[in-house]
Amino acid sequence: MPDSRPSRGYRFLDAMVRFVPHLVLLIVLLCLWEAAVATGMITSIMIPRPSAIGGAIVELYVTKGTIYKHFFITLTEAVVGFCIGAAIAVSLAVCSSLSDVFKRYVIPYAVVLNVTPGIALTPVVIAWFGYGMGSKMALAAILCFFPIFVNTLTGLVQIDEDREELFKSLGANNTQIFTKMRVPAALPLMFAGLKIGLTTALIGAVVAEFAQATDGVGVLMSRFSFQLNMAASIATLLSMTVIGLLLFYTMEFLDDRIVFWRRESRRAAASRARARSWQSQIGK
Amino acid sequence: MAEAAQSGPTKASAGPSRSLRNRRLMTHAGIFLTLIIAWELASRAGWLDPLFYPRPSNILNSFWLIYFKNGNVWEHLGVTMSLVFMGFVGGSILGIVLGSLVGLNGLVRRFLKPYVIVLEATPRIAVAPLLIAALGFGATSKIAIIMLVCFFAPFINTLSGVMNVNAEKLELFRSLGASKWQILRKLVLPDAVPIIMAGERLALTAALSGALVAEFIQRDQGIGSLILVYTRNLNMASSFACIFTLTILGFLIFRGMELVDQYIAFWKYEAGRERVSAKRRRAMRS
Repeated sequence: MPDSRPSRGYRFLDAMVRFVPHLVLLIVLLCLWEAAVATGMITSIMIPRPSAIGGAIVELYVTKGTIYKHFFITLTEAVVGFCIGAAIAVSLAVCSSLSDVFKRYVIPYAVVLNVTPGIALTPVVIAWFGYGMGSKMALAAILCFFPIFVNTLTGLVQIDEDREELFKSLGANNTQIFTKMRVPAALPLMFAGLKIGLTTALIGAVVAEFAQATDGVGVLMSRFSFQLNMAASIATLLSMTVIGLLLFYTMEFLDDRIVFWRRESRRAAASRARARSWQSQIGK
Repeated sequence: MAEAAQSGPTKASAGPSRSLRNRRLMTHAGIFLTLIIAWELASRAGWLDPLFYPRPSNILNSFWLIYFKNGNVWEHLGVTMSLVFMGFVGGSILGIVLGSLVGLNGLVRRFLKPYVIVLEATPRIAVAPLLIAALGFGATSKIAIIMLVCFFAPFINTLSGVMNVNAEKLELFRSLGASKWQILRKLVLPDAVPIIMAGERLALTAALSGALVAEFIQRDQGIGSLILVYTRNLNMASSFACIFTLTILGFLIFRGMELVDQYIAFWKYEAGRERVSAKRRRAMRS
């Protein structure tokens, strides 16, 4: 329905109009903060000026460029750890959903892993996997395991009985029921788990870096903090936010593409694409 | 948790019979013992380096050492738990109060949203070194870290709970002439209680993690620093004893929160509903 939608230019204008008050508020807040520090209402050692933080950001990203190495190391640790943890979690969840016996004997261990604060394992993981990136990935994998496992399993075991009957009456075999019915039904929940897992994986990587590391955003941050260079420390913290947002929106994008049927606009786009491919097959 | 996840669609709703359950429990115990014994034997045969992968027997021995012979774990455990408690209470009260204030005010909500998104993406535990630098070593910065870590889940959940008010109920309340305060106290907050409690549960787990991270960085006292010191000295058995202590503690916290949930959000549970209505009947009679 392209005609019922407002034009592109109009939408842009609308977004700008909505965006401006937010921007004004942000600038006012920053000015107030700056003024409070400048007049000495807030001690600048504890809470630095926004301009100092801005300066630190420029220094870290532009003039010195020290952050990039650490940024990508932490990003790699979090992503690799997440992939390992997610692979184990999803495969265990799939096995548990296929076999009741397997599920019965795996779940107690998963629950034990869940009630243990995974962060408590940090020193042990570092002793096992060394001071390098391996230990950070391992902690990230451990921390992200449970939310993904539980969500995937919950998604796979919830069965719509009417749907199952329909599949059976159409003569679907077990493989087809699993891949065409249970997996698609589980995907939304699984993605919710993956999103949580991604955040916890980042936490795992950063915490392991606090404990012991030579490179990474976490190390950079604790170094700056202990030098009482709060502006640079906050700038580093903001780069963690950037990593977090980057990971989150990547996941959101994948969610949008893979679980396309949950959003109206994506569903319409997918059905258009299918219609086109069918038409080309028919030869019209 | 395991129970709930076990009852698949194939089984009767009443669950497996008692003898079957006993037999399964035996199998669980058997598998567990086999794993432990295999671990012990692998370690004794030299396949697993006991320096890094402690034997189960050594871990048991360490349990005895740190709890009874030396008894040094109690003090650290006490320190950690009191910090967790204070930080949790402070952070979650702050979260609930701010969450309901923000949830009730559309304008504030609109302008706060971008900041909430940014905060949500930041690993909040990462603020720990900053807070320690700003507030100094000691209990204050630890409590501040725990409060920060605890704040978010109750805040977000209260916010969404307060916002999802049932429109029909709201209309009923309004048509009966309820004041704003009455609507908040009798409708909005009670309806939000289950989701707030879910947030509290997340917050409590986060609180324990926050305390551990703070202790890892400060390395003075508390169970986190104990684990760190034991691992540094490659006394892995004691380190594992501490970690399993945290497992038990985590389990108790889980159960405790469930009980609190049953008490506060009693209308979600059959038993709680009956208990409260019996109490009300008694009160009415007298």
